[in-house]
Amino acid sequence: MDISSEKNTDSGDSAGKLRVGVYICRCGGNISDVVNTDHVAEICRRIPGVAVSKVHTFMCSDPGQQTISDDIRREKLDRVVVASCSPLLHELTFRGAVQRGKMNPYLYEHVNIREQCSWAHKHDPHGATAKAIALIAAAVGKVSRSVPLEKIRLPNHRRALVVGGGPAGMKVAADLAACGIPVLLLERSESLGGKLHTLNRLFPTGEAAVELAHKLESQVVSNPLVEILLNSEVIKVSGFIGNFAVEIHGAFGPSGQTTDVRTTVGVVVMATGYRPYVPMDGEFMYRRHPAVVTTVDFNALLARRDCGDGTLMFDGRPIRSIAFIHCVGSRQVDGVHTPGPDGRLHAYCSRVCCTTVLNQALQIRRRFPETRVYDLHQDIRTYGRGHEEYYTDAARAGVVFFRYHSDEPPKVTGTNGSKSPLRVSVKDYLSWGEEMNMEVDMVVLAVGMTPGPCETIVEQLKLPRGEDGFLQEIHPKLRPVEISVNGVLLAGTAQAPMNIQETLAAAGAAAVKARAMFSKEQVELNPYVAEVDARLCEGSGACLAQCDYDGALTMTQTRRDGHTVRMALVNPGLCVGCGACVAVCPTRAINLNGWRLDQYDAMVDGLVRDIAPSAVN
Amino acid sequence: MIANANTQRHVDVLIIGGGISGLQAALDLGDQGYRVMVVERRPSIGGRMISLSKVFPTLDCASCITTPKMSAAAHHENIELLTYTEVDSITPGPDGHTVVITRKPTYVNTNKCIGCRMCEYACDTEYPDPFEEGLGSVRAVSVAFTNAIPQKALLNPDYCLACGLCLRACPTDAIEFDQQPRQETIGADAIIIASGFQLNALTVKPQYGAENSRNIISPLALERLLAPHGPYGRVLRPSDGKIPGSIAFVQCAGSRDQTIGVPYCSRVCCMYAIKQAMLLSGALPTADITIYYMDIRAFGKGHEQFYQNARAMGINFIRGKVSRIDPADHDDLLVHVELTEEPENFLRKQRHDLVVLAQGMIPQWNPSEVSPVRIGTDGFVATPDPASPCSTDIPGIFVAGAAAGPKDIADSIAEAGAAAMEAGAYLYRHHVADKRPPTVALDVALSPVGARSG
Repeated sequence: MDISSEKNTDSGDSAGKLRVGVYICRCGGNISDVVNTDHVAEICRRIPGVAVSKVHTFMCSDPGQQTISDDIRREKLDRVVVASCSPLLHELTFRGAVQRGKMNPYLYEHVNIREQCSWAHKHDPHGATAKAIALIAAAVGKVSRSVPLEKIRLPNHRRALVVGGGPAGMKVAADLAACGIPVLLLERSESLGGKLHTLNRLFPTGEAAVELAHKLESQVVSNPLVEILLNSEVIKVSGFIGNFAVEIHGAFGPSGQTTDVRTTVGVVVMATGYRPYVPMDGEFMYRRHPAVVTTVDFNALLARRDCGDGTLMFDGRPIRSIAFIHCVGSRQVDGVHTPGPDGRLHAYCSRVCCTTVLNQALQIRRRFPETRVYDLHQDIRTYGRGHEEYYTDAARAGVVFFRYHSDEPPKVTGTNGSKSPLRVSVKDYLSWGEEMNMEVDMVVLAVGMTPGPCETIVEQLKLPRGEDGFLQEIHPKLRPVEISVNGVLLAGTAQAPMNIQETLAAAGAAAVKARAMFSKEQVELNPYVAEVDARLCEGSGACLAQCDYDGALTMTQTRRDGHTVRMALVNPGLCVGCGACVAVCPTRAINLNGWRLDQYDAMVDGLVRDIAPSAVN
Repeated sequence: MIANANTQRHVDVLIIGGGISGLQAALDLGDQGYRVMVVERRPSIGGRMISLSKVFPTLDCASCITTPKMSAAAHHENIELLTYTEVDSITPGPDGHTVVITRKPTYVNTNKCIGCRMCEYACDTEYPDPFEEGLGSVRAVSVAFTNAIPQKALLNPDYCLACGLCLRACPTDAIEFDQQPRQETIGADAIIIASGFQLNALTVKPQYGAENSRNIISPLALERLLAPHGPYGRVLRPSDGKIPGSIAFVQCAGSRDQTIGVPYCSRVCCMYAIKQAMLLSGALPTADITIYYMDIRAFGKGHEQFYQNARAMGINFIRGKVSRIDPADHDDLLVHVELTEEPENFLRKQRHDLVVLAQGMIPQWNPSEVSPVRIGTDGFVATPDPASPCSTDIPGIFVAGAAAGPKDIADSIAEAGAAAMEAGAYLYRHHVADKRPPTVALDVALSPVGARSG
């Protein structure tokens, strides 16, 4: 029996005349170890409309992609389906391959048979194989009803808004302006420099933080393309790549009066930085005893001229012994630590604190050799270039190290009348778990980083945060400085804890992406937006009531058959293609391009179509 | 523009190294409209990353991240890739740099070769496959690896018997036994050094006995064993093909060690060991896996959580520096270690049947031998300006990735973007006249929405 001809008659559409190419990826075994890819390819040949069905070890590799481009020409394909990993990884890759084959890239459909088949059903190879076939059949159905689409092209405002005037923000602004791109640099405080002002000597160069701040500041101040707005905050932001409408509240008039201004920018760079972790009341006796301070406080103390000459002085008392406790507000463990006011446990490592502590410890031992220094850590993470030297130097300079386990943190107590006011006890795993007690004049808590303030923008642009609360990039390697909202970029510690060199590198990476976005006269957006069928729309307004995106849908008046009628109108720049409007339209007049209702019908038909009646081999 | 009359070709930016850093920098610059040339010493672009199995902390398959970038670079209209090419010298100049390169003979005419591999199938001489870290074998004439770019055959004259089988098999007459090295001079307005790293020798610490046991392996070899398309398709130990039941990772086996001249931390070993341990426990569910470490440095985004997951999975983390490794019977190994966290019986000899040494990362290439670019005491390219982390001490020459010190992939990619930015800004400053003049639109940019008291 000729299966395909029979199925072609019931589908009743053009599927039979189309030539669909199906490509199945083994993903070097990631897929083919579970899914029987050769069998899938064989079965897929029976799906109506499928002209070519092939397997490749790495579809995404150059030869894999070339096969698609070549087949489009040689086999006269007019639709392509690739079954491989998640479309998040490679949908764009294969659209490119299709485009190189001179086919409209939206006549392409991506099927995920890795995350959704081989990885999810590792222990059921037969089921995974059957599921892969069903998903491909659905995609063939869908792609058969695809129509060529074009990217949406909109004006691109050649100007970047950089939020945050710390090192990351200044670096982005300086880099972009150096390439002729105008920048609006926004800082909520009264001066540029951000947290650089709270630092003292920077590792690993020993350079004064303030000098670096001045160097970066002079780069932005000297460039007329950077407009700096101090004491300013974003109060409203909306729009999309190339076209963000921003309202800024701040004191920047000629006489310093407070005003609101409105402007349009093409790109928003989040350089909103970090906030140091603030220990809870009583955490290691913080706020219970004045001599328990954080590394931030201690930096400020070391920067003061009156902190002592030969003897370290604090609060009018000589400090002859100090204990540093690492990982305060970092590497927190469920059951040992209590979540902070934001309800989050800081399970992450803050990356900079180890070297910060050793930097401070060394400065003490060098400037105040009489002061004994104890270092209580879990692991010493001096990973960076020139950082390990701080560890070796500190050990040579007589800093005494103790190692504690996260579930047995050190204890800080008062001593009641002893020579030193504080006692630190720790179970030390550098000496086979021995209990150690030390009386000290001061305890310094190495506080980690928590995400900086940027709530207004995060809420209004719906920016995602990771589990750690920091802004979440799309992919740490594929798109490390981009966030799921197109046109918004991440720079520096808004994304994750980083030291100053890493911050500047991340800022450079954000700047280069911004510059690439401005290299085009217009911005190009995916065409997956709602479209209204003027013949069917009766102007019920149901769609408008469902739409969550300001300005994406409006009602207009139009003339039809000699009458003035109400009709919905889509702003393709603001529509995100969520489909909420499609679901409520009483006349099926609104559809999502690339995801039309008839395509769903075809997918369902594909899923239930009995292509492989025999058991999967 | 370059004044040198001998210059044969001119590009905006020449990038040394076609690994992940070089490719990322090339893509970022190409996307801005600069003409970029990537010079790669190996037969394919992709660098170290293309040979990895999966990458931390997301456990994405490495090929799935690398191949699209390789492919994007290969298809980019502004990017030219020169593989199997060495850099002989760099002469900087205020108006551009002169780079002399040598295109090594592949003995295959790349214009004629169609990558059909008929020569490879015909060849009957094999040698240890460098891509598989010597664990598998490869024919004397072959395409470098499955997803190599370019897909062109390469003949290894050290192993070729000149029997002529390939010559007869090639449908396009691409085999050329008489190819010679070819020197070219390239003019480049800016240069990015992205020459990456290599690992120091497995035998760098003789007390670890790698010379005497095939079951003491490099982490890069384990990457290949773990890769689904690796040499054996599964994890077997090299000496006898046995499925290992007890695997040890010896950390800091080539770094943080002043006795071997690598005092610095190699920065990635903790994380790849944890990742490999996780992948091993998936591949060999009954195996015992132990990581001997000094400090676990899981400092990057999502890394600490990854480490805690590995602990929860039952991987043994033992704090202690391994002092020596002795051979035992049945090709097994005895790892001598002091367990600093155990109150009693802390001097141990632990038996394992496979040992992975976390070798240190050292520079792949020393630019100071062929150019005035300065290197630091650690041998990596020096970056003297803290405000510009990718600048070397020569204006117009930048550095990215592991060429400027050990670095993981994510940090290398960020730095590559920054280097591309610095290079782009440098070109802009030096060629403003060629480019679009800066558009000053600030006077119309801000419009008040009404005064607010406050």
